[in-house]
Amino acid sequence: MEIETVLKILTLLIGFYMAWNIGANDVSNAMGTSVGSGALTLRKAVILAAILEFSGAYFVGANVSETMQHGLIDTSLFLTEPIILILGMCGALLGTGVWLQIASYFGLPVSTTHAIVGAIIGFGWAIGGAQAVQWSETIAIVSSWIISPVIAGILSFIIFSFLQRKILFALDPSEATRKLLPPLVFVVLATFTLSLLFNGLENLQLEISFLTTIVAALVIGSCGGLLTYFLIRRKALPELSPFSRYRPQTVISLEKAMKHLQRVHLASFDQMHDKVGHLLSEVKDLSEELKKETHFAERASDYQAVEKMFVFLQILSACYVAFAHGANDVANAIGPVSAVLDIIDKGRVSELSLIPSWLLAFGGLGIVIGLATWGWRVIETIGKKITELTPTRGFSAEFGAASTILIASKLGMPISTTHCLVGAVLGVGLARGMRAINLTMIRDIILSWVITIPASALMSISAFYLLKTLFLKSA
Amino acid sequence: MMNIARLFGKSPFAPLQNHMQKVALCMKKLSALFESLHKIDGEKIEKLVTELSALEHEADLTKNDIRNHLPRSLFLPIDRAHFLDILSIQDSIADEAEKVGILLTMRSLEKFDDFHEALLALYEKNEKTFLNAKKIIEEIDQLLESSFGGIEAEKVKALVEQTAYMEHEADQMKRRWMRELFNKGDSLSSPAFYLWMRLAEEIGMISHTSERLANRIRMILELK
Repeated sequence: MEIETVLKILTLLIGFYMAWNIGANDVSNAMGTSVGSGALTLRKAVILAAILEFSGAYFVGANVSETMQHGLIDTSLFLTEPIILILGMCGALLGTGVWLQIASYFGLPVSTTHAIVGAIIGFGWAIGGAQAVQWSETIAIVSSWIISPVIAGILSFIIFSFLQRKILFALDPSEATRKLLPPLVFVVLATFTLSLLFNGLENLQLEISFLTTIVAALVIGSCGGLLTYFLIRRKALPELSPFSRYRPQTVISLEKAMKHLQRVHLASFDQMHDKVGHLLSEVKDLSEELKKETHFAERASDYQAVEKMFVFLQILSACYVAFAHGANDVANAIGPVSAVLDIIDKGRVSELSLIPSWLLAFGGLGIVIGLATWGWRVIETIGKKITELTPTRGFSAEFGAASTILIASKLGMPISTTHCLVGAVLGVGLARGMRAINLTMIRDIILSWVITIPASALMSISAFYLLKTLFLKSA
Repeated sequence: MMNIARLFGKSPFAPLQNHMQKVALCMKKLSALFESLHKIDGEKIEKLVTELSALEHEADLTKNDIRNHLPRSLFLPIDRAHFLDILSIQDSIADEAEKVGILLTMRSLEKFDDFHEALLALYEKNEKTFLNAKKIIEEIDQLLESSFGGIEAEKVKALVEQTAYMEHEADQMKRRWMRELFNKGDSLSSPAFYLWMRLAEEIGMISHTSERLANRIRMILELK
């Protein structure tokens, strides 16, 4: 068999293995939280994840894949010896795969994205020298690793604070949720459509104007919103508390009046003081009566209904995360593969090349198979461990993370989905939404930045030299 | 691969409520003691108080367990210092209960029949104050869900004010009884007199600490 065919098959195999790995381990972080909160059953989660990961990979995966292929190292330096670039990319894939296995075995925190980027840059620098690395792009990517969790955190903080004020702190939380749910669905669907269609769908070579994007976003968002509105109207509100002519808002208003009267009482003298005193005690009695009438004490436990209504939004946002994840991570598997295949097919290094659709589908399939064979187990494990991410919190965190990831994917920035999710959950925690967050996770993230890149770079270089001796000797 | 499951730490709020249950058991034991005080002898009192001490010790162990599992790297929705404070105050209620029990074993109470009713009434008022504070701690789950604000916070605030008022009433009762004691004090022996006074003080501490607990909870609420 010719070298080229061998290399092609080898590359595709390794690429598939990487994709499988992503499906087996990373997808669990996207879907696990929904399974944990009970929003989705394991089965539904896996099916939804499979569909969305594949779609994300296929429709938006090209942007980041291109960065992997051309953006990191200056491929023009290998024009004279394309075989070196081929072996280098293979070596990068191989090295990353090996490092991931080692790290998983030892329980070290590791991110696929960081590993493959480190591997490619490592190989480029070792073989082509410092000028082989596209430093501006590299620095941009590294900064995006640091910025993306922060942005996800800020977004989630804002979203949860908004939910907090409008729903959790509202005097009638269920009612507030019913009013807020349709606009929220509108926003989620519109944002998703917007980030999906912005700048067109490169893969399908669809040029979509900005106006069309906005219109599509508004239309899809409105459809979802209206649908939600009608569905909510039909569902009868469960009567949690016995009927009363007075609403809890009335009790709160009376309390506020009492507070102000108290201030007047403290500031007044003699006759005025006595009068206000009498008034105050009368208002106090009234308040007590009203509280009894509206069963104020029992009413406060309305939050179950709120959480139930948010389940739908959490599922939506989980789908959004899965889609964004597929879009960003498929590049880890097929970016280098695409580079290799391109050179072999054209016989030389070329500056411009599109990622072939079938390759994106191939990567997507790898992810799905990884998910179906192993990933579901990890989702189940995570789901069992994470039970405190209630739908309201889960939605806030996931929506913030997903938006960040998808925008980064559109910009061609390879980032870590897990880091964004961590940042998002921290954002919700800062808004006092979580019970207990383990901050040692941040240490793990920083460790993974510091360890992964040199480690995978080393692995990649060694793999390259190994492949070079194997293939170039026999040439 | 990094697992997001490690991000979620062990919540200390359920153990906090657990600890409160143990404190409540101490108080229940003390209540049983007071109820049967007029018909039991010194030996029985001794036995009940030993059981009470054992319960207090259990509460202590739970408290230390919670403290051991509260590393600095655990990020909570309330200030860590506030949480530890609440735990401390809660535990001191159990300590107070034990102190009262121990006082009852010091010596058989002179002039018991004269003061028995007042003693019981004072204790019951303090016990009610404690039960109110206990209700507040039981609301912590809902408070966490509502992110310490909204209508749930208003409800807890009402409970806190109720507890404060009950403590005020308990204070007044104590004052009235102490005045009675001072007036009738000449007919009592010094140790007996001192014992009655100490009893009044220590029982009063139960409602006092319960009010402190309630107020500490008020500090973490987000009220408009």
